[in-house]
Amino acid sequence: MSAPFTLRKIGVPPNSANLTEARRRVFDFFRAACRSLPTVMDIYNLQDVVAPSQLRFAISAQIRNNAHITDPKVIDLLLFKGMEELTDIVDHAKQRHHIIGQYVVGEGLVQNTGSKDQGKSDFLKNFYTSNYF
Amino acid sequence: MGLGILASRAIRPASRLLQSHNSSFFLRTIVSKPELQSPEAAAVSQPEPPNQILPPRSPVGGARVHFSNPEDAIEVFVDGYAVKVPKGFTVLQACEVAGVDIPRFCYHSRLSIAGNCRMCLVEVEKSPKPVASCAMPALPGMKIKTDTPIAKKAREGVMEFLLMNHPLDCPICDQGGECDLQDQSMAFGSDRGRFTEMKRSVVDKNLGPLVKTVMTRCIQCTRCVRFASEVAGVQDLGMLGRGSGEEIGTYVEKLMTSELSGNVIDICPVGALTSKPFAFKARNWELKGTETIDVSDAVGSNIRVDSRGPEVMRIIPRLNEDINEEWISDKTRFSYDGLKRQRLSDPMIRDSDGRFKAVSWRDALAVVGDIIHQVKSDEIVGIAGQLSDAESMMVLKDFVNRMGSDNVWCEGTAVGVDADLRYSYLMNTSISGLEKADLFLLVGTQPRVEAAMVNARICKTVRASNAKVAYIGPPADFNYDCKHLGTGTDTLKEIAEGRHTFCSALKNAKNPAIIVGAGIFNRSDKDAILSAVESISQANNVVREDWNGLNFLLLYAAQAAALDLGLVQQSAKALESAKFVYLMGADDVDVDKIPKDAFVVYQGHHGDKAVYRANVILPATAFTEKEGTYENTEGYTQQTVPAVPTVGDARDDWKIVRALSEVSGVKLPYNSIEGVRSRIKSVAPNLVHTDEREPAAFGPSLKPECKETMSNTPFQPAVENFYMTNSITRASKIMAQCSAVLLKK
Repeated sequence: MSAPFTLRKIGVPPNSANLTEARRRVFDFFRAACRSLPTVMDIYNLQDVVAPSQLRFAISAQIRNNAHITDPKVIDLLLFKGMEELTDIVDHAKQRHHIIGQYVVGEGLVQNTGSKDQGKSDFLKNFYTSNYF
Repeated sequence: MGLGILASRAIRPASRLLQSHNSSFFLRTIVSKPELQSPEAAAVSQPEPPNQILPPRSPVGGARVHFSNPEDAIEVFVDGYAVKVPKGFTVLQACEVAGVDIPRFCYHSRLSIAGNCRMCLVEVEKSPKPVASCAMPALPGMKIKTDTPIAKKAREGVMEFLLMNHPLDCPICDQGGECDLQDQSMAFGSDRGRFTEMKRSVVDKNLGPLVKTVMTRCIQCTRCVRFASEVAGVQDLGMLGRGSGEEIGTYVEKLMTSELSGNVIDICPVGALTSKPFAFKARNWELKGTETIDVSDAVGSNIRVDSRGPEVMRIIPRLNEDINEEWISDKTRFSYDGLKRQRLSDPMIRDSDGRFKAVSWRDALAVVGDIIHQVKSDEIVGIAGQLSDAESMMVLKDFVNRMGSDNVWCEGTAVGVDADLRYSYLMNTSISGLEKADLFLLVGTQPRVEAAMVNARICKTVRASNAKVAYIGPPADFNYDCKHLGTGTDTLKEIAEGRHTFCSALKNAKNPAIIVGAGIFNRSDKDAILSAVESISQANNVVREDWNGLNFLLLYAAQAAALDLGLVQQSAKALESAKFVYLMGADDVDVDKIPKDAFVVYQGHHGDKAVYRANVILPATAFTEKEGTYENTEGYTQQTVPAVPTVGDARDDWKIVRALSEVSGVKLPYNSIEGVRSRIKSVAPNLVHTDEREPAAFGPSLKPECKETMSNTPFQPAVENFYMTNSITRASKIMAQCSAVLLKK
């Protein structure tokens, strides 16, 4: 039922039955990611670039982005994708500039907090994107 | 007979053997009749089955036939099908009504008949030889046959003759893919030729930077000669020599300076006359054609923009009987390469060191939104340009009005232009209505450079019905006979008071037309001039129930829509006391008049004159990239269609103003183009009815009396250089070549 996550798992875990189980899986995933952070910093030589707390913040921000989702199946799929990404990073299948560009807030990744875009209308948001809307 | 019976006898025993119910499928007794076996019987032709019901046919191209005199209709038979045609129709036109398209090279429906290509030969009963259908008038009861062996042999023969001296240039000829000779030789020619001699070649003529000539390909159809003399009114081209040594040329080393010279490219059926800027650039099958409207002048000619990917490759005219028939001016046709140069593609803000820096839309709009709140409302001025569409002008007016200012106008209309009554700025006789006029009085206008299609229509009227033309203004050369009455307002005063010799001609004319140029709107004494013109029109019955001959020829594509929407200049000092100036494509504004401390925002698509004074640049789309409504000088509303994608980070004009309004806090109530159009509908509903002409509702009788007097300055030409009038043409290399080479010095 609640099989603990390991980084090398065999087979596809069954779908979560309800929201609480999906929630527990999310937290398990976050814990696994945070536990793999020292390995990641070591592989990609990120000691001078970023602190582990900042990387944890980045991961939690991405999880929080999807905090509004209520469908367990969707959460499972997002978790699958997150697991895939984490496996790639830990396997050294990515490179340093990928990590810096995607997860290091400030140097690579410009975090838009969404505060200045919230008050605008759809028209203005579309206007800033392109001419065709 | 005997053989047949023997055969059936031989088959019969076998049929007994098969004995199946479907023996009829395997065996079919061959039956023969005596009539079929003798040779004399075969020569007797089959009698026509009586009263054969033929399927109904519609005219070629969905054309409609106009019977000017319904009692005078004639009935002719085309391939056995009876058609009713008006009396003066030729055999070719009768066949067109019957739905049969006869091949031709020299015949063109808008030119006089030459009859020298002989490709249109058809067989007419009781005629010893095939007749040239383009020249032969249709007589009642004529039986015309277009698909008999004689007609087909004639076409094959003519095609063979034409191809004898025609060079094998198809791979390098620009006309390939849209060549009449190629198409008709595939459809009507024979598969092989018998010519084994040397082909003749002809030296190429230099006709200017627009028309490329390869005279070896010419088939001497004389369409270009007839076009130049009839439609363009210049007798530049002619046929020199005789027989196989015939050449089309100008005889003296002369360039084709007419403003309609590009149309010979469309008219020439082969690749002898092609477009020089378009030479070797593309084949016609790789181009995507978009049907849109031209905005280089106030006529709104219908064009088709041929584009390949993001680039406009050429511009071709579209048929519109009311406005431009099948012709477009050279400026319309060849200024497309200005769309690729000097384009603004990113929003820019002027730094403290005076240089422009590219920024994002957020920053640019935020800066403008900040500054606009720091000035007083009547110091805000908005000026729309000559190429602005109705939607963007509506949004600009709404935005400026919401900011509390009344100073929004379109360039080209000075203070005090009255936009209340539409007759006072439109061409009230429509452009096609000008054909019915028999006397033209041109006041302060040179239609040849201001609106070449209107000039072509006047030329057509002069040629067809011998109309008289007289003009008041600076001496200019026209391509038809006209009288120069004077250069200034004194002549106008004399005619208004009835003292001039021209007044008698005016009184005797049945349908007089007065055309006043929009250059008058910029003069200080325009009210006096307009009242003089109106008194002339009243004295000579120019404006009546069935005929309104009082016309105004506008200069810019945006002017009519601007005046309909109410973009008029209220106070003369608005620009001098402005602190915030919003130029929406306005390049003809006198930049020196803008005060030095004013904040100028330029929104447009070309970095032309006014950009250098701007503090913020907002890139907009050109007419080939946006969907906009334009009204032409006769009140006909049309829409452009986007043909190519937007350049860089540009946005549509109305979207920029709408976004700016939201950033400035005065959010306008619409956010889609349908919303803008419903707003326009409440202001000027005729702008929403596209492809319709809305005539002016009231006449001059409603205008109050004018007390001012006219000043003595003579009329000045409104357009100095025909080839460089707007930001697109000024950026175009072809237009620069034309104005260097083709303008009369």
